[in-house]
Amino acid sequence: MLNKLLFKSVLFMCAGVMLLLASNDKVFSQGVGLGAEAEATVEENIPREKALVVKYINADLDTIDKAFSQAAPLKLELQMQDRAFPNGGGSVSALEVRGVHNGSRIFFNFKWSDKTKNDRVIADHLFRDAVGLMFPLDIVTISPETPFSPRMGDRGKPVNIWHWKADWEREMDSECGFEHMEDQYPDMFTDFDFHTHPLHFHDQELHSIPLISGGRAAGNMLSQPNKGTTVEDLNAIGFSTLTTQDHQDVQGKGKWENSGWNVTMYRDLITADTNDVQFIPGVETFFNVAVWNGEEGDRNGQKSISTRWSPVKLETVKYDQ
Amino acid sequence: MTLVHNWHLGRKMEYPYFESRPKQQFAAVFNINRCIACQTCTMAHKSTWTYSKGQEYMWWNNVETKPYGGYPQFWDHKILQLLWDNGNNPMEWYTSDDDKDATSAPYGLYNSDTIFELAQTKGLNQQAVGYIPDDKEWRFPNIYEDTAASEKTNYETGPAAESSELPEHKRWFFYLQRICNHCTYPACLAACPRKAIYKRKEDGIVLIDQKRCRGYRKCVEQCPYKKPMYRGETRISEKCIACYPRVEGKDPITKGRRMEARCMAACVGKIRLNGLLSGDYTKPDPKNPLDWMIHIHRVALPLYPQFGTEPNVYYIPPRWAPRSYLRQMFGPGVDEALEKYATPSRELMAVLQLFRTTQTMFARFEIEDGKKIYETEVDGRKFEVYNDTVIGFASDGTEMVRVQVEEPTWESDEKRMVTY
Repeated sequence: MLNKLLFKSVLFMCAGVMLLLASNDKVFSQGVGLGAEAEATVEENIPREKALVVKYINADLDTIDKAFSQAAPLKLELQMQDRAFPNGGGSVSALEVRGVHNGSRIFFNFKWSDKTKNDRVIADHLFRDAVGLMFPLDIVTISPETPFSPRMGDRGKPVNIWHWKADWEREMDSECGFEHMEDQYPDMFTDFDFHTHPLHFHDQELHSIPLISGGRAAGNMLSQPNKGTTVEDLNAIGFSTLTTQDHQDVQGKGKWENSGWNVTMYRDLITADTNDVQFIPGVETFFNVAVWNGEEGDRNGQKSISTRWSPVKLETVKYDQ
Repeated sequence: MTLVHNWHLGRKMEYPYFESRPKQQFAAVFNINRCIACQTCTMAHKSTWTYSKGQEYMWWNNVETKPYGGYPQFWDHKILQLLWDNGNNPMEWYTSDDDKDATSAPYGLYNSDTIFELAQTKGLNQQAVGYIPDDKEWRFPNIYEDTAASEKTNYETGPAAESSELPEHKRWFFYLQRICNHCTYPACLAACPRKAIYKRKEDGIVLIDQKRCRGYRKCVEQCPYKKPMYRGETRISEKCIACYPRVEGKDPITKGRRMEARCMAACVGKIRLNGLLSGDYTKPDPKNPLDWMIHIHRVALPLYPQFGTEPNVYYIPPRWAPRSYLRQMFGPGVDEALEKYATPSRELMAVLQLFRTTQTMFARFEIEDGKKIYETEVDGRKFEVYNDTVIGFASDGTEMVRVQVEEPTWESDEKRMVTY
């Protein structure tokens, strides 16, 4: 009898505490996203109707531009990221996406207008242009009944993110594969030398970089020279959880022309990495995008986003007769 | 936002995380009166942590001449101006006895917005008001060195005479020694959207996780003291690490005992005492030299407490500077602190002898009474000096130093006085 009473009172107390917690959003919200993340709306869990059809074309990297011209573009409207703190972006309003696969590789092409090319982040006030492409990691159904956050995934609902960066592109094309301080500040070592890169002069400083560079020692991919790619392969389970993968599988190339970016990201359809999304011709998945405009100081949550998922359909492989 | 207690402000304030104080807190007392701006601390820091590429402009420790100097240039003018908010946030203090409490509100009650609260009030897209300094502002670490303020810039003191006299000089400047304050409520930590910045539970040191940082520069923007700095070479930010391997006792010289940071141990002017505060500010340990100076004797004060980050580097203010300037910089505790410093008690006199006597951090001190050696009058108050002996102990109880108030001198035998 007494035991039952005790059990009941404990139960009631628990319920009371739960109610108290639920009514005070400050307490709950603290664990995630610094207490300023808006609840997902119903619309956010309804994917767009129009799908991106990833056309099967027997093309490879050299002929991909021509192949893209045969693929129908999916035009996405972008808006300011106003769902999670810190908000921002919105300076890029539209993005054109195209998809092609050749049976072993998948290619995505992005075109958006951006009057300024921001492809260096070496000084305090410089931020990069970038585009992010996101997929649910697993095969999922997305609907209001089976919600899946189109922002950056959620706990238990991981996403795979491909992040192309304009400064990485510039570095791929540069002579040493990595830009150094003196590329931004050509006279940083001396104002009085005809040769602005007197390596002999600051030889010791140069050799000290691997010794006293926290970013490199910790294996932060942003700090590594000669990354060999312009796209970072990442995972996330919600805001502030973005994490670089140990195994990088995505490649990319981008070009700034006619006041806009033309970026292609590509990867093998199937990889050996369990943290990567896998593409199977004939099977549908979803994607979402975000664009950063460095000129406007975009970084992190300050980005132009598409608020809903779009379906991606891969055409089946058509074998030549 | 949650409510946390900030004892500098004597009240609860808004902060994005719960109050979670470390078990012990890395802290230091800087005696501004003794500093000669030799910059040995600055170089000790530089040669240890920031001698590499991309770190050229990083001075995690710097000594600037106030009121004009600052690194980055005019950092405090700018933050104060932001916080002033065109007069909408007057940065007022209530200092009547009713507003004070010995442990939770020793300086009184700050009745305006902190950097966190103002950002909320104004609905800004950031956790704290702040700005990213541009390249120009990082150019001159020691700009306006030794430049004095005079009557033109100091309305309170009036025209300057040929010479200046205590208690307040009419022409004045002083040196401000600055490192990361390893705040109890760090604005850099609050600002980071990735939670890449953390405050260690064991010693309160605030660090940037070099693997998680993605170079967003939110910490650079929102730290009011401007101590996190972006490193272009690695594309991520770095900050003062409080020489944590030394604090952990990893340096073999101190045989596993906690060791003062490099900038502290290198101080030529003996202005610095570095150690750990006991974690609970409501129960300060009267035998811990830092607890005693900061919480009990209150001779050392926080830098710009009105920012609201509860900084953990404490300053003994300079005796000669105008009080209104000092109150703005160190809060309303200035008058009490200066009174205590101008005619130091026997205990303070003894504790001041501990500064820079060993690299080992003191956890405890004892005083043995000595005889009276001197008597005078300062500002109309009687001041007696006793030759007491102070003994400093490490956290494991080992006696590290034993020094007297009067420095022992020794005269050579007359036969050895060779004249050439």
